[in-house]
Amino acid sequence: MEKMKLKLLYSDLRPELEMIEKELEQAVDSQSLLLNDASLHLLQAGGKRIRPVFVLLAGKFGDYNIDVMKRVAVPLELIHMASLVHDDVIDDSEIRRGRPTVKAQWNNSVAMYTGDFILARALEQITEIESPRVHEILSKTLIEVCRGEIIQIKDKYKLDQNLRDYFRRIKRKTALLISSSCELGALVSGTDEKTAAHLRRFGYFIGMSFQIIDDILDFTSTDEELGKPAGSDFIQGNITLPILCARKDPEIYAMLKANLNRKLSNEERLMVVRTIRNSSAIDEAKVVSERYLEKALRELSFLPKGQAVKTMRKIAFFIGKRNF
Amino acid sequence: MKGHQIQSKIISMEIEVLNAVQQRTLAQFTEGPSVKESRLFFLLLPFFDGKNWSVEIESSAKTVSIVYAALHAHDQIKEDIPIIKEQQLTVLAGDLYSGIYYQMLVNSKNIAMVQQLASAIIQVSEKKTSFFEEAIRPLEAIEEAITTIETELLLSFYRFYGFSEYTSLAEQALLYLRYADELKNLQSKNYTHFLHELNSNLVHEIYTEHWLLEKMDSLHGRILASIAELSLDYELAQFLLQQITPHQHRAEQLTREG
Repeated sequence: MEKMKLKLLYSDLRPELEMIEKELEQAVDSQSLLLNDASLHLLQAGGKRIRPVFVLLAGKFGDYNIDVMKRVAVPLELIHMASLVHDDVIDDSEIRRGRPTVKAQWNNSVAMYTGDFILARALEQITEIESPRVHEILSKTLIEVCRGEIIQIKDKYKLDQNLRDYFRRIKRKTALLISSSCELGALVSGTDEKTAAHLRRFGYFIGMSFQIIDDILDFTSTDEELGKPAGSDFIQGNITLPILCARKDPEIYAMLKANLNRKLSNEERLMVVRTIRNSSAIDEAKVVSERYLEKALRELSFLPKGQAVKTMRKIAFFIGKRNF
Repeated sequence: MKGHQIQSKIISMEIEVLNAVQQRTLAQFTEGPSVKESRLFFLLLPFFDGKNWSVEIESSAKTVSIVYAALHAHDQIKEDIPIIKEQQLTVLAGDLYSGIYYQMLVNSKNIAMVQQLASAIIQVSEKKTSFFEEAIRPLEAIEEAITTIETELLLSFYRFYGFSEYTSLAEQALLYLRYADELKNLQSKNYTHFLHELNSNLVHEIYTEHWLLEKMDSLHGRILASIAELSLDYELAQFLLQQITPHQHRAEQLTREG
């Protein structure tokens, strides 16, 4: 339902997004029936398509040509999909967006090869763009995203990490790819450097806000709304902002410490979720998310007024208030 | 070129590849990147054989080696094991190496090679996945799949730089090495997906063993013929035959195994 609402916000992009959707389907077309099935399984699970949306919106500030824009928008979504299918192996996740993951439906190996295949398709497509700058940004982003995930695994179950570690992690994990989506959209449409820089920063701030909200929702949503068990981050040892805020309370700290890195029963899991949800941590984390949102909106104020800015603003507000 | 010079060049390339992908956490928790000497030998074969060789070609050769390491990392992912750091980081190691090969080629302004390698990875991934399809396929199809898996990345490098004359030799040698590894796996009851499929196709593993030995014998004969056809330098040919694809005749193997 909420995903529908989000899609309504960028309804003026509907024809282009329908084209992107078809291109995505074509991009994962394979001689291997199994790879085809696994990739389509992933694709048809849907998603917010936020990266292609930002590519297209950023392109509106320059010389917008959908045939050029789609050559960036499609690979960026493919890169995101490839990382999701590998993330499910990393987290041993059975369910994503309410559907069995590729690893659950088939196995880990099929998930690994599906991810490799999709990433290769993304690179095959984006190399049709000759601009060296595009490839410099994208290759750096890919490496940084991986480094972020490596750090995330290294920092797992470390309740005593600092806030800076968390922000650095989510920057690499989420904000960079959204920031690059905006910057690459601006670059391929030939905007001036100043506009591209504002768009890059907008993407970065909105990406940070988006991830913090995601981390909050892991505690405030139901299993059904999330399409996976609430509190999954904590169970998997990912120390997110709500946990970092909540640990200031000595009692909560002791409870978190006692339940971290051990197999929790369903009741114990719900108890952890309830404790965080009822603490001040959720509000504190929301304040941080809103600060990033404000920064994102400030970047928009430097851009030429028009429909693209309006849509970006609406998406930004929606992300700040979303509850799915 | 003398044998020790060949060896030294391979080692120096191996060190450069390892340095390019080095990452502290991965080094601590994973088995590290797989950089096989045999693959490096075939990547460097045109250089050893006196072909025109540039900094760009050598840099591309390194990236091919990194792609092999990336895909190999993902081959190591196990099924049905509890979440452990080693497995999680092995997934990310493969992804990181993929980012690194892309960035290296971008830095040397060789976007066309990125496209070439991406196409090769697509084919390799398709063939790797084919071992999980339920349909029964003929032995020729299994052989074709394993050939693509072992050689497509290297052959795309040869095609890109006009070294296609080495295609047959490299294909035969890399396939020979894969079969030699699979034979060892079979003898130690370590059944890979490839062996599972061969076993079900050939009904009994004794026939699988014979099939592998015959293939190795035949490939060895073809390797000798390819070396002669390419008129490889004596030292280079000896290095290949003694260091890269040392051959034990099928009859000897069967006798040794009683």
